[in-house]
Amino acid sequence: MERELQILWTAVAAYVLAGIIAVIGVVLGKRPERAVLGLTLTGLALQTVSMGLRWERLGHGPFITMFEILCSNIWSLMCAYTFAYWRIPRIRATAAIVLPLMFIMLGWLMVTHPGEGHYPPTYNTPWLFIHIGLGKVFLGAVLVAVGLSCVILMRQAGIGITRLQQLPPNPQLDELAFRCMAIGLIFHTLMLIAGAIWAQDAWGRYWAWDPLETWAFITWLTVAFTIHARLAYRLTPPMHAGLILAVFVTAFLTFFGVPFISATPHQGAV
Amino acid sequence: MIGDGARERGNLTSAWDSRGQSPRRTKCDDGETRSGLYPVKFLRTLASLRLTLWLIALLGAGTAFAYLREGARTWPLVAPLLLLALNLLAAVATNGVFRRQIALLVFHLSLIVLLLLVAAGRLTYLNGHAGVTVGTAFDGVLAASERGPWHTGELSKVSFVNKGFTIDYAPGLQRGATRNHVAWADMQGHWHEAEIGDQDPLILENYRFYTTFNKGFAPTFRWLPKAGEAMYGSVQLPPYPGNQYSQAAEWTPPDSSVPVWVMLDFDETVLDPERHSSFRLPERYKLIVRIGSTRHEMQPGDSIELPDGRLEFDGLRSWMGYRVFYDWTLPWLLAACIVAIASLGVHFWQKFAVKPWDA
Ligand code: HEM
Repeated sequence: MERELQILWTAVAAYVLAGIIAVIGVVLGKRPERAVLGLTLTGLALQTVSMGLRWERLGHGPFITMFEILCSNIWSLMCAYTFAYWRIPRIRATAAIVLPLMFIMLGWLMVTHPGEGHYPPTYNTPWLFIHIGLGKVFLGAVLVAVGLSCVILMRQAGIGITRLQQLPPNPQLDELAFRCMAIGLIFHTLMLIAGAIWAQDAWGRYWAWDPLETWAFITWLTVAFTIHARLAYRLTPPMHAGLILAVFVTAFLTFFGVPFISATPHQGAV
Repeated sequence: MIGDGARERGNLTSAWDSRGQSPRRTKCDDGETRSGLYPVKFLRTLASLRLTLWLIALLGAGTAFAYLREGARTWPLVAPLLLLALNLLAAVATNGVFRRQIALLVFHLSLIVLLLLVAAGRLTYLNGHAGVTVGTAFDGVLAASERGPWHTGELSKVSFVNKGFTIDYAPGLQRGATRNHVAWADMQGHWHEAEIGDQDPLILENYRFYTTFNKGFAPTFRWLPKAGEAMYGSVQLPPYPGNQYSQAAEWTPPDSSVPVWVMLDFDETVLDPERHSSFRLPERYKLIVRIGSTRHEMQPGDSIELPDGRLEFDGLRSWMGYRVFYDWTLPWLLAACIVAIASLGVHFWQKFAVKPWDA
């Protein structure tokens, strides 16, 4: 386990360094894009190795304990953001916001106990990977939208206007954020469907309003609300950005809060 | 900050682009505008996209409310859903966006279909539990059940035999895989066998039988009444290992008036919390039987005389608790979900293909 953790902490260091360089780049008006991309890719490679070693050792994937769930979500969020960073060069300066946001999860990971948990028999199914994978794409898409929204909100608040000039104007950021939310809606819907199929197989019911199901549905509604609000009220980019942040907070609480405060965590571990 | 919800906006089409056309008006004798106006006007108001927004918020609030108040699970969800359905149907009837964007229309219609299917499912579902002793058949009787008012399935015609099961346990009594061997006869009388458990239910006539963590021991008896035919039966003791220290039950043999209390007594460790093990019957046990104030200890083959018959202890078996679920809408729900997600994908694909992401 020591070696896994050492590799993981090296990955965390690479992410943190990437974040710091991204922030310094924006502050100094520079574009250290290769360094940021290189460091996040290095972090991802190391984290993949660490997670692979743990998987090999325990015989199951990172789905059980808080440590594993946090770790795998950091990995998927970093994958999603790195992909957007690579494919959409004109939004790269958002790394100065998104990577520091990730520091919160990295810090949380570092104080979480890396012990093992029991792998329930209902997890022996491909639906586990499908359901969780779809949820990760949803969260990744919303993270990219959050990065764009934060830029819009910072501009609105008059923070770093000149420094953020290298990013496109608000309407374009807004359109991109909307596209991310659209992807988010598709993947969240798919995640709910896959979850219902799995729940039917595993527990004999496709939907039972358990705490996680309830909050996942509320999160889905917040996405539908945001998309319709933008159409119905012709929301300005800052208003739309505010709603996107609200979706992110709801999704974050659903993914990382509900399973750990509820006595019946999705019945999975029972 | 907030616009008026009309007009074209970038490549987004507004929801009220048909608003400009004034509805056909007919004047009545008394000078009031009447038919042709009010229904259309009402439909358009009902179709408002702003109303959609607040109904979505209402549904969110209703969901949270239903979650917090277990007793109020129905109306906080059903009322906003019905209103959303009306809102959407009115929009489909009046909003030109849905005629120009077919994929969007299909997506929204599949939401309505989903809603109708869920409602139909709630009216006709069945959810219950049954325990079946190994070597015996499920006889269509449920220990507990709840069902929709229009449930018409014929569970009494469904039967299968529990042919035995294994359940692995990891150290710490952590339950692993369940493998349950079952057999059933089809309409033509041909026998089929299958292994079910964990993710794999047995599906017969739309009834789905799921193994559960409820399972335990079942002393089996032969009952020879003084009047009538001999019969076999078993008494399912409380689930094991959950109720490890209360392996007792009371029951009355068929057509008898004498209650019989039985308790399974064994010392050995069936499931060892220290190591990997499997659910099994105890090897050395005795059955304590109390009838009135008389106490008996029984081994397989022993019998006792009761005022109205003889009770022979045949031996110990295990029983499996099944969850029984019936909902004919399941495949249709899946189909509606596939249509919904495909149309949503096509809608966004068409919309975003117009302008590159990195433009
Ligand atoms: C709660 C479930 C609902 C979801 C998830 C949903 C989802 C969507 C999505 C994804 C779009 C496309 C947005 C775009 O392309 O920019 C849309 C548009 C639309 N929705 Fe819904 N919708 C829901 C309920 C409703 C209801 C109840 C109505 C009833 C009026 C409605 C009316 C519309 C209209 C009129 C549009 C087109 C707006 C436009 O392009 O101008 N939606 N909806």
